[in-house]
Amino acid sequence: MDFTTSLIVAASGMRAQSDRMKIIAENIANANSTSTTPGGDPYRRKIATVNSEFDRELNANLVTPGKPATDMSDFTTRYDPGNPNADAKGYVKLPNVNALVEIMDMREAQRSYEADLTVMDASKTMLSRTVDLLK
Amino acid sequence: MAVLPAAAAAAYQAVANIGGAGAAGGATTSGAIGAGAGDFSSFLQGALKDGIGTMKQGETMAARQVAGQANVVDVVNAVNQAEITLDTVVAVRDKVVAAYQSIMNMPI
Repeated sequence: MDFTTSLIVAASGMRAQSDRMKIIAENIANANSTSTTPGGDPYRRKIATVNSEFDRELNANLVTPGKPATDMSDFTTRYDPGNPNADAKGYVKLPNVNALVEIMDMREAQRSYEADLTVMDASKTMLSRTVDLLK
Repeated sequence: MAVLPAAAAAAYQAVANIGGAGAAGGATTSGAIGAGAGDFSSFLQGALKDGIGTMKQGETMAARQVAGQANVVDVVNAVNQAEITLDTVVAVRDKVVAAYQSIMNMPI
C-alpha cells in the first residue's frame, strides 16, 4: 500500500534524525571534556551524517543514519595551570565544539523531524479518510 | 432502507461469482481476499487474521519499548499500522453486513 510506504519512509527519516540528535547531544555535553592525561587531546567533535538507501521491497528510498565523521579542526586552548591535565606550559586543550554550531544543527534536526511528523500525520489522515468512505 | 433493484441484482451477481470461484477452486481456505475465498465468513476470517497479526505486532513493539529495546518511532508506526488495519477490516465488515441485510430484506 502506498500510504503504508510513505509512513515507513517518514519513520525512517525520524529515526535518522533522532540518531543525529544523539550525536549533537554528545557534542554539547562534551563541550568541556578535557583529556585524562596531561597535554593529551580532549573530546573531538563528531559530525552526524545522513545517508539514503534504496529499499527494493518498498521500492522507495529510506533514510539511514551514516557513520559519524570526526571534525579534524584545531582544538582551543586555555591557560589553566591548576588543572591536572594541563601541559608543561600550563595550557589545557579544550574540545573543538562550538555551541552555536551545535544549536544550529539541533534546530535543523528538529525541523526535519517535524517535517517527517507532518508527512506521517497527513498520510495517516488521507488513509483513514479513504477508509471512512466505506462508513 | 431504499434498495435499487439494479444494485441488488449486481450485489447478488457478485456474491454468486465469489461462491462460484470458491467452488471451482476446491477447498475454501481463509487467506487473501478473492484468492480462493469461498464465502463471506472465510473472507472475514482471513481479513480478521490479517488484522490480528498487525495488532499483535503493535503489541510486541509496545512491550519491547517498555523493555527499552525498541525505538519510539517504530512503536508508533506499528501501533498506527494496527489501528489502520483494524479500522479497514471493521469498515469492510460493516459494509458487507449492510449489503447482506439489504439483500435479505428484499421483497420477493
